[in-house]
Amino acid sequence: MTMETTPEPSGSGTAAKIRRAADGISNTLNVIGTIMILGLVILVNADVIGRNAFLAPISGVPEIVSMSIVAIVFLQVSQAFRMGRFTRTDALLDAVARRSKRARNAMEFIYVIAAFVLIWLLFSASVPLFDKSWQRQSYVGTVGDFTFPDWPVKLVILIGCAALLMQLAISGAVALWGIFHPAEDDGAGQ
Amino acid sequence: ETINATVVAGHPPVFRWVRLVPEVFIPSVNKQLEGTEYTFNWDEQYGGSLAKVGDETEAVEEGLAELGVISSVFDPAKLSLQNVSYYTPFVSSDPDIVVETIDKLHDDNPKMLETWLENNLQYLGAPSGIDDYLLMTTFPVNSMEDLEGKKIGAPGPAVNWLEGTGAVGVSGNLTTYYNEIKTGVYDGVIVFATAALPGKLYEVAPYITKVGFGAQYAGSLAANKEWFDSQPEVVQQALLKAGDDFKAAYLADLNKAMVASLKAMEEQGATITEVDDAFRKQWADGMDNVAQTWAAQVDSEGKAGTEILKAYMDAVRAAGGAPVRNWDQE
Amino acid sequence: MTSFEIGLATLGAMMVLVYAGLWVPIALMLCSYVGVWMIKGSPLLAGKLLALAASETISSYFFGVVPLFVLMGFLVSVTGLGRDAYDVANQLFRRVKGGLGVSTVAANAIFAAITGISIASAAVFTRIAVPEMVRHGYTGKFSVGVVAGSSVLGMLIPPSLLLILYGLLTEQSVGDLFLAGVLPGILLAIVFAGGVISMAYFWPSFIGENLSEDTEHDMGSAEMAKKGLPILALILLVLGGIYAGVFTPIEAGAVGCLGAIIIGLFRRTLTLPNFWEVLTDTGLVTASVCFLIIAAQMYSRMLALSGVPHEFGVFVATADIGFWGVIIAYVALLVVMGTILDSSSIMLIMVPLMLPVIQPLGVDLVWFGIVTVIAVEIGLLTPPFGISVFVIKSTLDDDSISLGEIFRGAAPFALMMVVVLLAVLVYPPLTTALIQ
Ligand code: NA
Ligand code: NA
Repeated sequence: MTMETTPEPSGSGTAAKIRRAADGISNTLNVIGTIMILGLVILVNADVIGRNAFLAPISGVPEIVSMSIVAIVFLQVSQAFRMGRFTRTDALLDAVARRSKRARNAMEFIYVIAAFVLIWLLFSASVPLFDKSWQRQSYVGTVGDFTFPDWPVKLVILIGCAALLMQLAISGAVALWGIFHPAEDDGAGQ
Repeated sequence: ETINATVVAGHPPVFRWVRLVPEVFIPSVNKQLEGTEYTFNWDEQYGGSLAKVGDETEAVEEGLAELGVISSVFDPAKLSLQNVSYYTPFVSSDPDIVVETIDKLHDDNPKMLETWLENNLQYLGAPSGIDDYLLMTTFPVNSMEDLEGKKIGAPGPAVNWLEGTGAVGVSGNLTTYYNEIKTGVYDGVIVFATAALPGKLYEVAPYITKVGFGAQYAGSLAANKEWFDSQPEVVQQALLKAGDDFKAAYLADLNKAMVASLKAMEEQGATITEVDDAFRKQWADGMDNVAQTWAAQVDSEGKAGTEILKAYMDAVRAAGGAPVRNWDQE
Repeated sequence: MTSFEIGLATLGAMMVLVYAGLWVPIALMLCSYVGVWMIKGSPLLAGKLLALAASETISSYFFGVVPLFVLMGFLVSVTGLGRDAYDVANQLFRRVKGGLGVSTVAANAIFAAITGISIASAAVFTRIAVPEMVRHGYTGKFSVGVVAGSSVLGMLIPPSLLLILYGLLTEQSVGDLFLAGVLPGILLAIVFAGGVISMAYFWPSFIGENLSEDTEHDMGSAEMAKKGLPILALILLVLGGIYAGVFTPIEAGAVGCLGAIIIGLFRRTLTLPNFWEVLTDTGLVTASVCFLIIAAQMYSRMLALSGVPHEFGVFVATADIGFWGVIIAYVALLVVMGTILDSSSIMLIMVPLMLPVIQPLGVDLVWFGIVTVIAVEIGLLTPPFGISVFVIKSTLDDDSISLGEIFRGAAPFALMMVVVLLAVLVYPPLTTALIQ
């Protein structure tokens, strides 16, 4: 069950609408991140070709690559969670589920709370870092060659954490529903 | 009373600026505090175990470590003024002059301390200097024409130094220079002798040309400002004095190693040549005035770029340095 | 509680949380947060450590190319290049019992010459090799195990990002380190292949009772050439480009992607939908793996602050256990740390710590680097935190193979790595022979 995605929302209730909106946000971030990967392929190749064929390397490639990878990871992190790509060991959870769906959901609820709290801590501790680089307009690179502000990456970290919090909240709601309606399918929650 | 202090460095202790922390700085503090009621409990986090190179500033600023080996060269935005030497090549090849001048600027000009304070750091005057940057190539360099179309790997700020030479500056990393030269990605690199020797760069780029790029100031030990201010006077004095001890030991060790490294590379078959004054002048004059570009950028950030550029150049000239190009007077 | 005890306690807590089913990155973050809070007495500092690690850990050129190597792997897979190469390998090893397993090892060894990270190898061969092996009667457990096991070749056979990191930490020539990795890498591949064949004879319950020979793919030499040429072209492009100085091993991932795209278009196997699919998949694998590495780095920074590794360093330095005592204690610690940390975090903590202990003993630091990398890479396969195994699980479209089964399948290969590690320990020329 490790890799199972959270069930697709169905129906037209408010909960389902919220869920669809949230998934839409995660999807959008995922697409932006994916396009950035393609951008990296193009950038590095352009640098290699420029350097060898035209003796004109592209300035700042190491800096752009370093910043992009952080952005890519945080843009995709909520989608990765939603698609069940966060690694976990399922042996105990499955054993519990065989005896009691309700207990399984209760465990899941506790885990989601723990994850929510930690990502919230990460989010709130990252706000000052964004604020600082925004206020000071700090940059990477070298004056005269290539410089780029570093606040956009710090902002993406915040966006990624917020999107992950949103997906965690949905998982928490699903687990909570499952505690009280253990007989029904996981797909409930509307 | 025991004072807990974590020292952070992104570089491992194979590098002099880290190695002398346990060898000189810490023993000096400990010794000075003998007989007082204070003792230090040191926690040494080198080599990236707590923060990577370039991330030490934030680790100390945020208080995760009390002290850090801060590489201003890897934090050019936050410690802009400290990077003045990297934007003024061809000024002095003597690490003593460059390092002492910048250290003294910290005493004379409060604006130098301000950049540290803005990052919640207390400057401790334990500078890390870099010995004269050299050009190491796979081909002999006798004239500017030899450089035409050659790809030269260089650390970020030094890419500017290649402008106007006909060579192509590629921003590179010390770790991979050897491989990159060996396979031919680079035809040469800009590097300093004390790093070129252990990296065996002379094997692949045996032509060492002393162009005169100059020695550099690359950073200093610094303490978290709030932590430093909360320490008793005697401890603060001990830390500052240990910074002086570090500087003296560092420069002595660096000069010795620089001479030994060049000698060792020559013995291993490297050819060392020094360019003549005309060549050097031609190179320097061919560059854009990167110092002015830098100063204008730093001024626009509300810091004293132009002022420090002038102060630095004046101090070097006063100390007997002979700049090939007077970057501040154009 | 002293910092040291806190550090040890979080080791236990980490194990419990992971086996209880908490997501691995969350378990690591929880242990780091609580650990730093207790050590430094400040929840504020604990939060700052999390935030700094999140923005700094992967912010480097080295980590930046991770998605490019993964994408290259997926492109090799989706364009049918990998499948064809695998068919050719099958043809070569079909007379051998366990031939498909041997093919997987061989194909991995070749792929290792163009990739700098093991994650990519694990992702690619999960797609290419696992379904084939399962179809031919190999157990799921073995099929994923051999993929996990041989993925470690990716960082031992040059180019290798781990060896570059080691070179930085010790000021050793990366060129020498790359050369030193070649023979141990080949030896490991041979030992893996021998192990697979032995298991086919002596442990059929593990590898599969009724292994069928791959007869439907019987090929003549013309077809073999036709199938083998495209992948050969890609390998020549990447290896040739690296060794002709056109691009660096770091840039090779991007060039390999471009090469695979061109070959895929030429063969008309790459379409817009499947290209977008592999791009998206690359993003998800990258995000989940890098998020794990970030969390592992948080944990590793907490552990460094606790002083547990430092205490060990002091113990080794002062215990008077002699040269072999030091080396064996060091290797054992790397393997233990490998159970819960990622490779680069372990190196960042342990190498600078051990260097002052090791250098006075007159150790050859190139040999020491290969020893370190093999020992650290064993951790890719060991529970509860094994990156190669996680990547396989995350790439696999088959929920019937559990994480635990992948770990069990990989276990014999971890043991074979120990054997090769011992060989490198007792016979250092394996690493130094190729260097002048
Ligand atoms: Na490799
Ligand atoms: Na492991």
